[in-house]
Amino acid sequence: MSAFATLAPPYNMPATSRGGTLLNDTAEARSRALNQFLKSVELKAYKIAQAGLRHQDDALDAVQDAMLQLARAYANRPEEEWKPLFYRILENRIRDMQRRRTVRGRVMAWLPFRRDEDDEDLDPIAQAPSQDVPPVARLEIDEAMRALDAALEELPNRQREAFLLRNLEGLDVAQTAQAMGCSEGSVKTHYFRALQALRVKLGEFEL
Amino acid sequence: MNAGEGESSATTPLQLRGLEARSRLVLEAGLTRIDAHTRSRLNQARQAAVAAAARPSYLARIFGSLTSRALMPATGAAAAAVLVAAFMLSGGHHLTSSVADNNPASALDVLDLVTDDDAMNLMEENDSSFYEWAAAQGDNPGQGAAQGAGGETT
Repeated sequence: MSAFATLAPPYNMPATSRGGTLLNDTAEARSRALNQFLKSVELKAYKIAQAGLRHQDDALDAVQDAMLQLARAYANRPEEEWKPLFYRILENRIRDMQRRRTVRGRVMAWLPFRRDEDDEDLDPIAQAPSQDVPPVARLEIDEAMRALDAALEELPNRQREAFLLRNLEGLDVAQTAQAMGCSEGSVKTHYFRALQALRVKLGEFEL
Repeated sequence: MNAGEGESSATTPLQLRGLEARSRLVLEAGLTRIDAHTRSRLNQARQAAVAAAARPSYLARIFGSLTSRALMPATGAAAAAVLVAAFMLSGGHHLTSSVADNNPASALDVLDLVTDDDAMNLMEENDSSFYEWAAAQGDNPGQGAAQGAGGETT
């Protein structure tokens, strides 16, 4: 029997099965971790995108693009880097869409007949909130949410980004700086400015 | 637009921490109100992203093995040569010649202060409440919020 024969895999076992299984396990664990991470950020990311774009479909597109880009380009990076990277991608995407919308608005202004996308009929069942909340509490939450949304809408983009990344997503100063592409000092300034402005705007709501 | 101008003296760090805590509660409540249709679309987007991560891109499939096996040593050597050349051309002593270069983070902060409108406004206004707030603020926004929210229920 030749030496080669002793290296042959056992009967019924494919040649690459052991190494392949290891690789598959690693890839599967990575996929699970990525899925878990994206699940943990998707609602907050959507809320942040919606605050910046004020349009449901655009916000969903922005989050979807950010998820895809993170998965394609950075899935192999250490997991602790995913969050700031994901929000960096998302913020860039939001800014791109805001710029594109400005240009599109200028072009559309020239057209005599145009249909507003917001005129589309919405399915009331699909739009229903997902969890049951007592009516009185719902009204109070609704009012507070409307007030906060309106106040956030009036904030400059960078202040709103800093406020939502820190306060909703809970990123620390360093992670927020990484996500926003600026220094930590700048994050503190934007965040403080946002708090001050919100305090003035929301004072009457005692929020 | 600086909405907080002229109001900063009336805002204490404690009030701001209370605002942080309450607005966080409202934002989190807002997350539970996201409708089923949106949740479903987010779920689909997530599944698509996870599937995309599992399969390498077209270019990566073509060039992946070639780059890793044949070109890696040559690429590494070329990159090292470029780095050495750049260092020698710039003159090594310049790298340690300024105070800012010794601390890149502080250099970045200084640059950011100079170029950031908000920061300049704060400096011009001599807004002491910012520094009080910044001193009381930890790295995490929630650090002082619990104390602030507890002491300042409105």
